Amino acid sequence: MELDDLKQTWKQSETNKNINTDIMNMIQHKTYGPIAALKKEFRKQIIVMCLLPMLLIFTNLDDIFKPLTSILFWAYVLLCAGIVVFAYFNYRIANRMSVMDESIKPNLEKQVNTLETRIQWKIIGLRIALIFLIMLTEIVPYIQHYSMLDKWHSLSPFIRFSSYAALLLFQYFVGRKVIYRKFGSHLAYLKDLIREMD
Amino acid sequence: MLQKREAEKQFEKHIKEHELLIYKICRIYAYTNADRQDLFQEIVIQLWNAFPKFKGDSKLSTWLYRVAINTAITGLRKRKDFIESYDHAALPTNISDEHRVHLEERLLEMYKAIEQLNQIEKAIVMFYLEDKSYEEMEEILGISQGNLRVKMNRIKEKLRNLTKNIDYGIG
Repeated sequence: MELDDLKQTWKQSETNKNINTDIMNMIQHKTYGPIAALKKEFRKQIIVMCLLPMLLIFTNLDDIFKPLTSILFWAYVLLCAGIVVFAYFNYRIANRMSVMDESIKPNLEKQVNTLETRIQWKIIGLRIALIFLIMLTEIVPYIQHYSMLDKWHSLSPFIRFSSYAALLLFQYFVGRKVIYRKFGSHLAYLKDLIREMD
Repeated sequence: MLQKREAEKQFEKHIKEHELLIYKICRIYAYTNADRQDLFQEIVIQLWNAFPKFKGDSKLSTWLYRVAINTAITGLRKRKDFIESYDHAALPTNISDEHRVHLEERLLEMYKAIEQLNQIEKAIVMFYLEDKSYEEMEEILGISQGNLRVKMNRIKEKLRNLTKNIDYGIG
């Protein structure tokens, strides 16, 4: 069968729709695509990260000075703030990705570039966060005493720094895989589409 | 508020005028009524989101195709790459039984073959069936006309082979 033979059939098949087209009702709904899911995830991240330090204060209300004078608490606040900024940045990227009125190929290329940049930044961000935590673990015991950290510092520097190195290596290989597992399939799909267009 | 209502009315008018076009995209990219309904709604939402930025630089149908195809190929989370059966209720009505059976078979054959094309090829086939010019296809897809012609020839060959090999299990 030839494709040209089907043109008439295609036109005849316009007669039946079976689709509810209440436009006004439809535009009241929210979109449920992958970009909308990403945006929802970032919104959730921002809210949770803003609430977590407050929750910590709330659970220590009987001795409010304990968290407020703790370096670890403020480091935690700093980390949460960093994640909030990062999530906001990601949210804006997702917003840019949700533009759908461009030609198909340039739009796909833009989405791939944006997603790859986002993944790169996420990997870098996670590495920075890990280095920050390692530095904190090493420096804090010289300023404030925490039994857990004191115990850690009683170990030889060789064991401690080997553990940090192992952690960084683990993050380098596994973290990348985890991130690609989450967003990689969508990225690979978009790349396939571009390949199909070449 | 008044402006929003005015925009809503204008948008509804445009969509009603072009709903068949959206429906055809849904039919190419989704195969059951439920999936088509979901895709139709998703496309309308994306069109509504993009509507404030539509300045009339391109034809409304070109803009609409862009948003709809972008949504169909990238905007859906649950994608079904292969659907085993078609909804017979969605096939044309109001034609004689004999002709209807023949038309159903041809449509099934066509959809089965198109189903096996990739997402971009599906869009090209649809434009071809819609008698769109290569110039307009280039504007919507962002693929050069030369490349589109090559692809079209390959698709025709592919469909020819696919329709030869398909076993419909009818009868």
